[in-house]
Amino acid sequence: MSDHDHGDHDHDLAHPHDHDHDERGRRNALRVEALESLLVEKGLVEPAAIDAIIRYFEEQIGPMNGARVVARAWTDPAYKARLLRDATAAVAELGYGGAQAEHLVAVENGPKVHNVVVCTLCSCYPWPVLGLPPAWYKSFAYRSRVVREPRTVLREMGLDLPESVEIRVFDSSAEVRYMVLPERPAEAAGLDEAALAAWVTRDAMIGVGQPRAPERR
Amino acid sequence: MGGMHGFGAVVVERDEAVFHARWEARVRALVSLALGAKISNVDAFRHAIERLEPVEYLSAGYYGRWLGALELLVHEWRARGETPDPGGSGSLRPVAHAARFRAGQRVRTRNLQPTGHTRLPGYARGKRGTVAIAHPGFVLPDTNAAGRGEHPEWLYAVRFDAAELFGSGAEPNACVHVDLFASYLEPEPGDV
Amino acid sequence: MSELLFADDETIAPPRRNGELVFESPWQSRVFGVAAALRERGLFTWDEFRVELIAAIADGEPEHEPYYASWQRALERLLAAKGACSASALDARERALEARPAGHDHR
Repeated sequence: MSDHDHGDHDHDLAHPHDHDHDERGRRNALRVEALESLLVEKGLVEPAAIDAIIRYFEEQIGPMNGARVVARAWTDPAYKARLLRDATAAVAELGYGGAQAEHLVAVENGPKVHNVVVCTLCSCYPWPVLGLPPAWYKSFAYRSRVVREPRTVLREMGLDLPESVEIRVFDSSAEVRYMVLPERPAEAAGLDEAALAAWVTRDAMIGVGQPRAPERR
Repeated sequence: MGGMHGFGAVVVERDEAVFHARWEARVRALVSLALGAKISNVDAFRHAIERLEPVEYLSAGYYGRWLGALELLVHEWRARGETPDPGGSGSLRPVAHAARFRAGQRVRTRNLQPTGHTRLPGYARGKRGTVAIAHPGFVLPDTNAAGRGEHPEWLYAVRFDAAELFGSGAEPNACVHVDLFASYLEPEPGDV
Repeated sequence: MSELLFADDETIAPPRRNGELVFESPWQSRVFGVAAALRERGLFTWDEFRVELIAAIADGEPEHEPYYASWQRALERLLAAKGACSASALDARERALEARPAGHDHR
């Protein structure tokens, strides 16, 4: 995806299919090629526009955007207040916005409250601040289970929260998009905004992880 | 333009398709992109063509006028200090009537089982909750998807206790917020 | 750690991937790009696309097919509904591409 990994853990799981080489993958590829070629001939799309879009989503958009937003909120209380009051405008201050964040809401974690975001109906996700969602976020397992047993799912994903912490699940059933504003870790005291951004993981902004120290290279 | 004289016969270019096609396709694409990015709208675009200088209007040809109009609109749009809207046409809408519900109000979801599209998830039908956030108004997908119009409604983030949704098997100290349109909700009277 | 993340027979662990691939294979990136390009051109809104995507996911086999297969079905239905591209035209084009000589790159 983009330059570096913000410390998300790998979520290992062997994927049961090899899509590129099996028959279903071949048929999907053929169908999509048919679709694109017909639409190009009809003048409805241009290959260069498609190429640019793919490049943009592979290279230029991703959780590093949201990490900047969080780091700014951690260091600037007035910005944090603006983010919680009107996240769409606040992230636009940093240059982020557009499709899939027409109306963005930031939900704040606290010592006794932990937020987690899902789209049970499909896979809605705040692209301008987080990029495209990871495969697990779109999986039937996550979508069906995190509303029903959030504490268990989070524990399976490495985040163990005691029962005294309230878990608030946000199901993006309509066109509002949510991002989690995680708590600033005590270990990250004294860092400036740029250094703090490296602590903010994608998982923390979805709510399935916490911010953590960037991995040493 | 109606009623002006002296422009002679209409000239048909023999190689018109070959010579102009690529350039004109690019102009069409540019106009389409500009409209999609809300730099302008169709009515303003037509009006901009009318506002071209007469010499340009007469000499530029059909797609030349499109390009001229586009240049004029982009110039005016930038002069207004506006920024592009890569999201294009979204679903936020003003709602004419006052909001029926407010944050903190107790509500119950209808037990909707529509044949068409809805954004009320199955697990949240016929359940009691509390309005946590009063969102803005949005296009109602239930009617819009069926071609029955946008019918924008106020949207609410409604908070449901896990036990209310999932009964005795629910985890403790957990809740789910679902974004629900006004027509999915009824007021829930009294305190329990 | 990975042992803890695998399912037993009674539960389904969320599938995840190693690495940070945005798209698992080229056709997935193309179907995404085509949908996004059409949306930019104003053929439909994301909300309209979402109506079809929700239905396609509900109709599909989410545990046995890649996520973007739902995108492909949703896009086809939406294009047919908009009168922009019929299923029969797509079928014909797919057959024509299938009949290409071997050695062609199917991406």
